[in-house]
Amino acid sequence: MRPCRLIPALAIAVALLLTGCGARRSSPVTIRFWNGFTGPDGRTMLRMVQRFNAENPDVQVLMQRMDWSTYYNKLFVAGIGGRAPEVFVLHTRVMRRFSEAGFARPVDDLLSGPEPLDAGDLDANVWAAVRFGGRHHGLPLDVHPLGMYANRRLLREAGVVDARGGPALPADGPSLLAAARRVTKSAAPGQPPRWGFVFANGLTNAYTLMRQFGGEFFTPDGARCTMDDPRNARALRFCADLVRRERVAPAPESFDAWIGFRQGKVAMAFEGIYMLADLRKQTDLDFTGAPVPRIGPRPAVWADSHNLCLREGMDERRLRAAWRFVKYLSDHSLDWAEGGQVPVRRSLRDTERFRKMKVQAAFARQIADVRYLPSLPFVFEFETELGIAVDRALRGSASPEEALRTAAANVNRVIARRRAAGVAP
Amino acid sequence: MKSGRRRDWSAYLFALPFLALFGAFVAAPVLYGLGLSMTRWELLSREPAVFAGADNFREALSDPYFWKALAATFRFVALATPATVLLALVAALGLHALRGRRQSLYRAAYFAPTLITISVAGILWRWFYNSEFGLFNALLAPFGLKAPWLTDPAWAMPSIALMTVWWTLGGPVVVLLAGLQQIPAPYLEAAELDGAGPWQRLRSVTLPLLRPVLLFVVVLNVIGAFQVFGQVYMITRGGPEMTTRTLVQYVYETAFNNYRMGYAAALSWLLFAIIAALSVAQFRLMRER
Repeated sequence: MRPCRLIPALAIAVALLLTGCGARRSSPVTIRFWNGFTGPDGRTMLRMVQRFNAENPDVQVLMQRMDWSTYYNKLFVAGIGGRAPEVFVLHTRVMRRFSEAGFARPVDDLLSGPEPLDAGDLDANVWAAVRFGGRHHGLPLDVHPLGMYANRRLLREAGVVDARGGPALPADGPSLLAAARRVTKSAAPGQPPRWGFVFANGLTNAYTLMRQFGGEFFTPDGARCTMDDPRNARALRFCADLVRRERVAPAPESFDAWIGFRQGKVAMAFEGIYMLADLRKQTDLDFTGAPVPRIGPRPAVWADSHNLCLREGMDERRLRAAWRFVKYLSDHSLDWAEGGQVPVRRSLRDTERFRKMKVQAAFARQIADVRYLPSLPFVFEFETELGIAVDRALRGSASPEEALRTAAANVNRVIARRRAAGVAP
Repeated sequence: MKSGRRRDWSAYLFALPFLALFGAFVAAPVLYGLGLSMTRWELLSREPAVFAGADNFREALSDPYFWKALAATFRFVALATPATVLLALVAALGLHALRGRRQSLYRAAYFAPTLITISVAGILWRWFYNSEFGLFNALLAPFGLKAPWLTDPAWAMPSIALMTVWWTLGGPVVVLLAGLQQIPAPYLEAAELDGAGPWQRLRSVTLPLLRPVLLFVVVLNVIGAFQVFGQVYMITRGGPEMTTRTLVQYVYETAFNNYRMGYAAALSWLLFAIIAALSVAQFRLMRER
């Protein structure tokens, strides 16, 4: 048996040697590309990278994926040590922090370079969100807003139907509440409970409503956190009431939200478009996607974007190759959209191919209204506080007003600390 | 005296490989951390580290999240350590009564969970505990019950402690069993001849002789429990409402999410001081008189 095994091993060794030699002759530029796409999105991205490598023999992109939570730690350690990858992904909400630390090279000059890209084709608000100090620190690849996922069967069975008998998707607060009540009541006695709505992600859901109610989170100069804005409290009260008073959404302490939706126990949930691939794998769930209903006086929806960023200090040849790769991904972002994303190139969205992606197209109708989380250097502390405030309100362990007051006070303590250290205004 | 000194030197020579590694990877970083704890250093700003004296320690003492994390840590230790040691003692006594192959088999069974890495064990138990499709709630369902294992602030920490007992029981069992096997049989026979029942033999002969081993197990377990991180990180990430965010988790978040290296180092040193003080206290309490 042993010699048989030896032959493939030898073959591989020879092949490696040969490709090694071949590589030296034409010496392609190696571009390291890091991201956190560990789910189905990672397989989509890998296929795009492979295609780019095949079409561009003079550039070799090596992609490395790791879980988002460890990704940022690794990225910043690599960056501090001067070993950052040539191309990496940053979410818009952390861009300010990383660009202030000098991680991401502005891309403005590349747009009009030898491989030009028309920034006018990008959604203006998405593009503006990566602008700091007058320059853009990355090229947005997508925007992934929250949207409403609805279980069509549950809505139909509860009689939430339109004139043609199809499920009627609520578009505002009162119709959401009415639909949720009907579904919750529709569970037959002795059957497992049904829920009209579920908070699949407290933070993004509540943030969406807070922005819809017009709430602000900081004073314009960023010197004080105003998370306890009464408009935010009103929005959070609406959320808490769904659980505590109306009882049309399960309490977070006794329910695994997204799993519950996937199991068909819940009629409606607000989640990111990236959950689409998750749902598609399931054949027993009759679901659809729609924009988040307008519950407050103005349209708004939480979103974030993946931005393709370049490291500082690359030589001309490497920079060219890296930019060619970044532009390639942007040009082919319809492939990326298949996996559950909305591309931010308007010309690409204006195609038959994108319109056929029903859920993506529905979520994309919200692009003009997307609201990113506040762009902060202390983004983790802010998100932690907001998350806890929402959690406490939904659990009923604090009133929305009190939960937000505590959170605002804690964030203001962070601001005071930074001011005392001389790193904040 | 002279020859004694020479032997000292040769001992150091033999210890050198260990000392070199210990110095490079334990002592030096620990001292570096001590220095770091007296600086203000935000890694993701362009500012260099600045000497800050005792500022970080002062901040910790007035930081409600530090106290909350400390309380969570103590709660975990109080839940996990006594349960682990007691269960391990009972299991070891039981194993000691078995002989030969059956003993080896059960000992291996107790030890098996310890061999699973925490990331795997953590994910496994997160599924066990899941309120919608988890194993435990599936077992409770026929009785019409549904437990909020990880989602309720009152339940989450006991759930993590329970998982920890399962995961870490094997080590203490093996150590205690070895300790039991060291107790000379004639002592117990003599006690039996004197008319001591099983309970009395356990209390008056076995436990006092097992004391040094028990001390070892308790001290190691307390130290390990104070440094709990993997379980929490894998299962709850500190939630709900931060009730399971322990000190090490807080240190981790301070260093690697907030990038405040100086403050994180100060928190680590406070944790170290607490563990050291408790270990000394335990030695004092359980020392053979």
